[in-house]
Amino acid sequence: MSVAWQFYISTVLIYLGVDVIACWGLNLQFGVAGLVNFAYIVFQAAGAYTAAVLTLGPAKPARLGGFQEYVGGAHWPFPLPILAAGLVGGLLAAVVGGFAIRRLRSDYEAMVMLVVSLIATSVATNQVGLVNGPNGLALVPKPLASIVSLSPIGYQWLFTGITAAACLCVYWLVHVVTSSPLGRTLRAVRDNETAAAALGKNVTGLRMLAFVLGGVLAGISGAVLVEFISAWSPGSWLYPETFVYFTAVIVGGSGNNLGVTVGALLVPVAFLEATRFVPQFGPPGLIGALQWIIVGVLALVFLWFWPRGVIPERRRRFPAAAQAGTRRPLIRIGGGR
Amino acid sequence: MLTVRGLHREFGGVHAVNGASFDVPPGRITGLIGPNGAGKSTVLNIIAGALRPSAGTVCYRGQGITGLASYKVARRGLIRTFQVSTEFAALTVMENLLVAAPAQRGEALWEAALGKRFWKANEWATVERARQLLARFGMSASEDEYAGNLSGGQKRLLELMRGLMADPALLLLDEPMAGVNPSLARRIEGHLEDLVGEGLTMLMVEHELAVVERLCDPVVVMAQGRVISQGTMADVRSDQEVLDAYLIG
Repeated sequence: MSVAWQFYISTVLIYLGVDVIACWGLNLQFGVAGLVNFAYIVFQAAGAYTAAVLTLGPAKPARLGGFQEYVGGAHWPFPLPILAAGLVGGLLAAVVGGFAIRRLRSDYEAMVMLVVSLIATSVATNQVGLVNGPNGLALVPKPLASIVSLSPIGYQWLFTGITAAACLCVYWLVHVVTSSPLGRTLRAVRDNETAAAALGKNVTGLRMLAFVLGGVLAGISGAVLVEFISAWSPGSWLYPETFVYFTAVIVGGSGNNLGVTVGALLVPVAFLEATRFVPQFGPPGLIGALQWIIVGVLALVFLWFWPRGVIPERRRRFPAAAQAGTRRPLIRIGGGR
Repeated sequence: MLTVRGLHREFGGVHAVNGASFDVPPGRITGLIGPNGAGKSTVLNIIAGALRPSAGTVCYRGQGITGLASYKVARRGLIRTFQVSTEFAALTVMENLLVAAPAQRGEALWEAALGKRFWKANEWATVERARQLLARFGMSASEDEYAGNLSGGQKRLLELMRGLMADPALLLLDEPMAGVNPSLARRIEGHLEDLVGEGLTMLMVEHELAVVERLCDPVVVMAQGRVISQGTMADVRSDQEVLDAYLIG
């Protein structure tokens, strides 16, 4: 296989890994816990900026040849910037969730998230000293590049491996959550909060947990992406980007990790990649605009005709014979915890 | 077991509950009856923690639970069912029951992270218990069915079973037979009789007076947010205020 093809394939695989991590995080929030987070891309951006400034080192003043301003620069070794990005994504989710999830109903939550998304882009763009304003951050050093001496294509495959390792770690987390009694309780909260609370479930705490976990995963996905592309600016995380991930989750199968993986493959990777090969027609920018329209239509079509997606949330069945466990009295009276 | 004193609740100037006081004795079904708009469901919501009272107290086993969040009330053993079925529609019947089981292993993040080995045995014990409950209520065949696909009557049974899975000390029932056919209503009545025979305490809002007469002792009658009478069904039947406000009004 030619080097060009290897570059292309490894790049697509890295993007797929980033999108899969992001979609798993959104699925925890939306598919499993029923949280409509229209600001999801903000948490990915927070992770990306965090990883970038913790890799770039302290900002140089312009008189010393510096060309970008930002706060909190440091030279942290790999993988600490990625872990810190997850932490920042989670902390930001805790703050946003603290006022949006604790007190508001789901439709108002969605509105708040959209507003958060617009405010965050506006702040990052206009507060230039924060993360270099509209120009964003560039020349982020690639992880391990100074330690390993590999050819460019060798490094591409190394980064593909790093992305795959990140995917495995994240999959472990989403799997233990969704396949456990915790996942079942989150799905119950999604279906009927009032009934779940009446059965002793701390609905706010559970929703916050899903929101924060989703924020962590969004942060990690942003960190992996910025370490790969070495740049990040407000144009990378405008609010419509969130809807690409929503469409992927809806198309793939909300609530199903495998379905969401397929959704990430179909929408942000296969569909958007396929449009690269469409011959240019019409005025400049038409194909890009059509991409957005088709992503929106795709979400609507699936919500209308196949609301459970390509691979729907699976029905949990329990084998006929219980394997273990002591028998307890059928009706236990005088409970309370 | 449960003591309600001087409960008040207003909604924009309307006194939905206006000084309601009554007791729920242990091991019996206390009936809460009254015409539409009497404040019965509001009282049940306040006891269950779904609403905060404007004034008044709710004591359970001598401890104040007034204004506690509904999940904290439930964790003390006061489990409610709803007037309109509130099944977890995208979960199977079995999962609906498993969710209700209290203090499950694997429900906290750190427990889930320890893996299936940590919570599997507890899960199977809960599954076993849920299966016994399904058999008792004649719903074993629906174990793997999505709860959203059940008939209205089956949803009422599921609501009751889910309440029982939560290990209730006091079951708060809001019209458990609303909207079900007479045959199923009779079955539910039979189940409630069995449960009270096993020592379960219940507070039941119900419109069907014949059912209340068969199952409930004592009976609390509400009208316009106030408790206007309480005692046995025979007592309240002979109360002129009840006759005026409810039975013939």
